[in-house]
Amino acid sequence: MNTEEFIKSGILESYLLGLASREEQELVQQRMLDDPEISAYVSGFEKDILHFFDAKAVSPPQDVREIVLLRSKKGSTHKKKHVFSRNPKQEKNNPGAYLEVEVSDTYMKVHKYWRTAFITVFILSKIFLIAGLYYYFKSSSQEQELIRLKSQIQQQK
Amino acid sequence: MNELERINRNTEQHFINKPAGNLTSLEIYDAYGAMAYGIILQIIPQPHLAQEVLISVFSSPQLQSCNSYPFTFAVCIIKLARAKAVEAKRKLMAASLPAFEISNEAADKSPQQIFDLAFCQGFSPEEVAVKLNMSKSEVLRSLHTFFKLHRDA
Repeated sequence: MNTEEFIKSGILESYLLGLASREEQELVQQRMLDDPEISAYVSGFEKDILHFFDAKAVSPPQDVREIVLLRSKKGSTHKKKHVFSRNPKQEKNNPGAYLEVEVSDTYMKVHKYWRTAFITVFILSKIFLIAGLYYYFKSSSQEQELIRLKSQIQQQK
Repeated sequence: MNELERINRNTEQHFINKPAGNLTSLEIYDAYGAMAYGIILQIIPQPHLAQEVLISVFSSPQLQSCNSYPFTFAVCIIKLARAKAVEAKRKLMAASLPAFEISNEAADKSPQQIFDLAFCQGFSPEEVAVKLNMSKSEVLRSLHTFFKLHRDA
């Protein structure tokens, strides 16, 4: 397939739109390396595709930007790993190296074991409550029984 | 292999127009957020769902792979936005309908219709070809024609 036929085949459009199969991708990549005309066409098509989709662009609500900002902050905080510096003076000179702590977030993350602990404490509290009520009523009934027996003995005397 | 995997694989190769310096998610959002939202709305017309997909695009770790993408950022964002939107649409359709099929009414073989089926509805060129009784090469040529018509217009 010559260059013009290759361009007209639409395989380059399919490649840039993410519709090409693995074999087609490899073929396009190889042809781009071999043929500067195809590379030039792809560069031009990239601009076309950008114009095409830019014409259909819709401004998203401002809230979406805020969420993206929050998520990107969270993502970068989670990705950072603590590195022990051999020179403590370097750390003092570079305070930006510390992890940022979010203060505006109203949510708190806890370890998942807390769920089990919470359920256990909840169930135990219910058991103790039921046991407490049971023994309270039992002791009060025994007290009444005792009073009744005492009065019976006194009557018999 | 899905679209997202392809994007990741593509980042392993370097060809042309490699962007200078890494951009943050917010910088990318400011530059291409509106374009990505437009693409997602073409695939998922419901604004609240489209906004969720948009957020997932710009908080996705795959976004950072665009920094090493061989083509321009815009093309990487277009692919990523489409892939995420099509994935979300498939999940949505799977939850509501038994199968994600092209409607039988889609007998129109115009380049616009073929672009819509392949890009917006997430069908592979092979699937579009089968549905429209065309060869795959005709489907691909229609994509070329579609962009040529837009370029000339």
